[in-house]
Amino acid sequence: MYQPLLTSRYLSTRLIPLLAVLAVALCVALVIVVVSVMTGFLDMVRTSGRTLMGDVVVSYPIRGIPHYEELIEEIRALPEAVEATPVVDTWGLLRMPYPAGDAKESEQVQIWGIDPSSFSTVTGFGDTLEWTSVPDDSAGLLQTRLIRAHAEELAATLDASAHVALLRATDQGELDELDETTIQNLASQRPVDEWAVRLRWLANRPDLVQEIIGEQAWTDLNARDPRLLSSEALVNDGLTLQRNGRPAMVPGRHVSKANIRTSDGTYEILQNGYWWMPAFEGTLTTMPIDSRGGLLEPESIVLPFANEFSSGVYLIDKTRLMVPLDIVQRLTHLDEVELVDEDDPTLVVGTAPARATMVLVRAVDGVDPLALQAAVHEAYQRFSRQTYPDEQPPTLELDPSLRILTWEQQNASFIGPIEKERELMRTLFSIVYLVSGALIVAIFWAIVYEKTRDIGILRSIGASRSGIVWIFLLYGLAVGVLGALLGVGLGWLVTSNMPSIHEGLTDPPLWLGVFLLAAAGCLLIWCVVKSRSGRLLPLLLGSLGVLVLGGLGLGELWLRHAGGVMLWDPAVYYFTEVPSNVDWPSAWMSAAGAAICSVIAAAIPAARAADIDPVGALRYE
Amino acid sequence: MSELLLQAHDVHKTYRLGRVDVPVLRGCDVNVHAGEFLAIRGSSGSGKSTLLHLLGGLDRPDIDGGDISHAGRLLSSLSNRALDWYRARTVGFVFQFYHLLPELTVLENAMLPGLVPGGVGAAAARTRATELLGRFGLDHRLDHRPRELSGGERQRTAIARALVNDPPILLADEPTGNLDEHTGAEILRLLHETHQQGLTMVLVTHDASIADQADRALNLVDGRLTD
Ligand SMILES: Nc1ncnc2c1ncn2[C@@H]1O[C@H](COP(=O)(O)OP(=O)(O)O)[C@@H](O)[C@H]1O
Ligand SMILES: [Mg+2]
Repeated sequence: MYQPLLTSRYLSTRLIPLLAVLAVALCVALVIVVVSVMTGFLDMVRTSGRTLMGDVVVSYPIRGIPHYEELIEEIRALPEAVEATPVVDTWGLLRMPYPAGDAKESEQVQIWGIDPSSFSTVTGFGDTLEWTSVPDDSAGLLQTRLIRAHAEELAATLDASAHVALLRATDQGELDELDETTIQNLASQRPVDEWAVRLRWLANRPDLVQEIIGEQAWTDLNARDPRLLSSEALVNDGLTLQRNGRPAMVPGRHVSKANIRTSDGTYEILQNGYWWMPAFEGTLTTMPIDSRGGLLEPESIVLPFANEFSSGVYLIDKTRLMVPLDIVQRLTHLDEVELVDEDDPTLVVGTAPARATMVLVRAVDGVDPLALQAAVHEAYQRFSRQTYPDEQPPTLELDPSLRILTWEQQNASFIGPIEKERELMRTLFSIVYLVSGALIVAIFWAIVYEKTRDIGILRSIGASRSGIVWIFLLYGLAVGVLGALLGVGLGWLVTSNMPSIHEGLTDPPLWLGVFLLAAAGCLLIWCVVKSRSGRLLPLLLGSLGVLVLGGLGLGELWLRHAGGVMLWDPAVYYFTEVPSNVDWPSAWMSAAGAAICSVIAAAIPAARAADIDPVGALRYE
Repeated sequence: MSELLLQAHDVHKTYRLGRVDVPVLRGCDVNVHAGEFLAIRGSSGSGKSTLLHLLGGLDRPDIDGGDISHAGRLLSSLSNRALDWYRARTVGFVFQFYHLLPELTVLENAMLPGLVPGGVGAAAARTRATELLGRFGLDHRLDHRPRELSGGERQRTAIARALVNDPPILLADEPTGNLDEHTGAEILRLLHETHQQGLTMVLVTHDASIADQADRALNLVDGRLTD
């Protein structure tokens, strides 16, 4: 076999075929990056489904399923299901605590009334809670409130030296001229209730108050808000939808406009942490609908915020608000109520049971959502065929708005187009192989021309025509495989660094621009030095390099100046993270495709090589 | 006379240049005997290379343009594959312009015929090529590229290559044509030596003094061979 020897030599002694390798690599990398990002996106859609809604959803919007507890018992008994949880969903307005003053802003929210503990088992709610501890900037706000609320108690604990310190700290300048003993005398003569007033004055500087009242009193004070001392308190608040024993709500991270997402993906709270939602409360208003579909008087409730959640799905984080189930049932009039006689409102004629608009079900690990769906379907049949004293649940046969769907089915109209888009991308981008194929044809054609004499020589020593074909096929394969491997590597590098690349684009680092410009400068100097030799090619290549590097550098600095570009805008792509996992099956398929394309492209010049007349090839030097 | 090894009978070869037919060989007859050193003399453009290529199975005569046979077998009756084997095992070519592959080292160039399907195989080719190159005084050049060699060294490499598969026949096409007198004489001495070891050799040249060193010389004039 002489072909591998020749192929490896032709490859290693020439620069041009490396260009073909590079072309193949770039094509493969391009396809890998595009398809991987889309696949990652799809995967995120799929997994987010599970963390948001569980695997199967029974839904009966607006009117809700009566006796849903029985349905949940029925589903819990299924071997396929881990847990089922009721949800009442409705739309409403949330009056936010900001801005300061009376004219508050309101946000439209999708209210989910949930039973927190079973809801956490069905979905990943517990893991999406944002706050595990009070952010440093916001702790001061809580402390200020504590100082204000407990000023009298604090004032009672102060000793003489603390009085002096407080006097000095709240002094308006009148103490300036006085000596120490006079100040001590002054302090001892102040009326007792003045200290509480002075503490309230100083409440905005919790650090000063801490110094004045001493460590013990300070710790006691902080203990009044458990969130300041224990890191579990906040998470627990979120998991139970309570704050200090009061029912509370948990909005998505993007509900509050005070949470600002910076370009590098981290968050800032407006006004240096002041508008930290769990420190405030909001007013929730809904428009309940009566059993005939008419609008009723709006219902309102004031609830504190317990925590915030961030599911990673922008649309959800922007609108959803978790509220205890019983409260939402009341707000939507889906709670259990007594029915009264129409003519005599004092006469109770029966009760209407509480309702849930959705029941979310989580599958046992490894159980296919479709299998669970079938099982839930049967469970629902059993549930709806029982007789209830007051009201029968809707039946699957008669009520089209009652649906039992897997998460994917529910979002088919959303997932389907993305899948199609990915296939389209794959196909479209595979056309770039044609480009690299054409490049290989051109380069190999030239090489065959250049190697005409070698081919004549090989024929003269007994190489067959098919043997000559194999040299170039092998050559094409080598270029293809090398390029494909390089492309897979490059694709992997780019894809797995997607977040930092994205960050680099949204917030271009200064060093990159400086580095590029410096490189351009160095190249320029090299060019000037080289230009003395009078050779044109290095000069031309060098100047081109200077232009490209300089252009990139200036462009980068300009982009930096302009504030970067937001490629992955979460408002558009639903997710706050850029996917960064390589879709390996697709990657290897692209690689194999590229290698095969290269061989096919190489076959054309190879056939030409086989047709070369050896005698003609050998005739001249 | 010893047995007849290579025979050309009434060989015609015509090239087409555009619309005109250029007859180059017009009825060549030649008998090459085993172990013979035959020189064919002719002026430039008389068709010497053409004849050599035909004898070596690189090209075919015109249709109905005579027969060439090796050891009694017509080359025209051989399949393409058999003809490839014939070129690999039966004849070795030496060219005026050496025709080495520039990307390969001296050793690899010399080994190359051993690697084709009809060749002796890589291991045997390596041993034989190393031995031949050593015999030709090139042992210190094995890993050099052809462009680093002098003309004489290149031609010695080419001769080693022609002999690697141990063919019975060597076809040399003006092997000294591109060399100075001294180097040319050296190459000829080398060819003589190998001929002495039993090789049948056909050498074409336009140089009468070289032809004179052969056992027998023919003249190629007007497309025919004469004594
Ligand atoms: N492929 C070809 N096409 C056309 N004419 C050719 C071809 N090969 C050789 N000739 C012509 O045939 C004649 C003989 O060529 P050649 O055998 O190389 O002569 P020599 O080796 O004696 O110098 C020359 O006139 C040459 O121009
Ligand atoms: Mg010639």
